[in-house]
Amino acid sequence: MPLEILILKTVGDKTPGAVTVKLTGSLDTATAPELERQLAPVLAGQIKHLVFDLAQLKFISSAGLRVFSMARKQLKERGGQASFVNMQPQIQEVFEIMKALPGVAIFKDMAELDHYLAVRQRAHDENQ
Amino acid sequence: MTLELHATPEEVMRAVEALQEFGHERQIPDKALFGLALALEECASNIVNHALRRDARQTFRVTLQHIGSVMVIELRDRGPEFDPTQAPVPEKEADSDDRPPGGWGIQLVRRYTDEMSHTREGEENILRLTKRLASGDQMNLQ
Repeated sequence: MPLEILILKTVGDKTPGAVTVKLTGSLDTATAPELERQLAPVLAGQIKHLVFDLAQLKFISSAGLRVFSMARKQLKERGGQASFVNMQPQIQEVFEIMKALPGVAIFKDMAELDHYLAVRQRAHDENQ
Repeated sequence: MTLELHATPEEVMRAVEALQEFGHERQIPDKALFGLALALEECASNIVNHALRRDARQTFRVTLQHIGSVMVIELRDRGPEFDPTQAPVPEKEADSDDRPPGGWGIQLVRRYTDEMSHTREGEENILRLTKRLASGDQMNLQ
C-alpha cells in the first residue's frame, strides 16, 4: 500500500504558523523516508503547530513512529506541538502501546492534549 | 506459502501484502491480521536493515502457515548470528541528537504475537512468530 502525503497550510489568522499533514495509506519502512523528506522543508520553517490528520492512515510501523517522534521532538524544542488526530482504532492502539513503553516520553503527554486537539480540530475545520 | 525476498524495504512490504492476502483468503479477522502484518514488517525490516545491511542482492525467506487456529510466520536469513528476542529494552529515551532506539519494533512484535523464538541452524537465523487466533473467529471449517 503506498502513502499519499498532503501538506496543507492553514490560511487566515485563526491558527497562524500551523500546518496539517494528511496521510493516506501505509506509513511503513518503504514509505517513511518519503514522509521524512517532505517534512524537512516544513520543519525548517517557522511553524509551531503540526497536525497529522490520520483519518485515512491504515497501517503504521516503528519506521513511521520514528518520523513522528523526530518531528514532535523538533517542534517541542522550539516551544511548538505536533498533534495526531482522527486515528483509526488499530493506529490508536499502536500509539497506546508506545505510550506504555518505559522511557518513551515523547508520546506520553499526548493524553494531556486531548482537549487541546479538540479545540484545534474545530479551528482547523472552520478554516476549511 | 513461502516467499523469497530481496533485502529491500519494498520487498518487506511485498511480504506484508502477501500476508494480508493470505489472511483475507483464510478469513483471519482484520484486527489479528493488522497485528501480524505489523509484526512481520518489523521483523523483516530488522533483517533488511541490520542482518543484510540493505544489500539488495541478498535474500531472506518468509514462510506463512495457518494451522488450525494458529498463524505461524517464519523468517530465515543468512546474516550474522543475531537474536532479536534478546535485544535489550531501551531504558531511557535516546538523546535528542540520536535517533530513537530500534527497540520499538521488537516491543510491537511482542505485543501482537503470542510467541517469538529465535534459533540458529548452520548459517541461518530462524525467527518464528506464533499467534493463536480466537476460536470464535474461525469461519473456515475446513
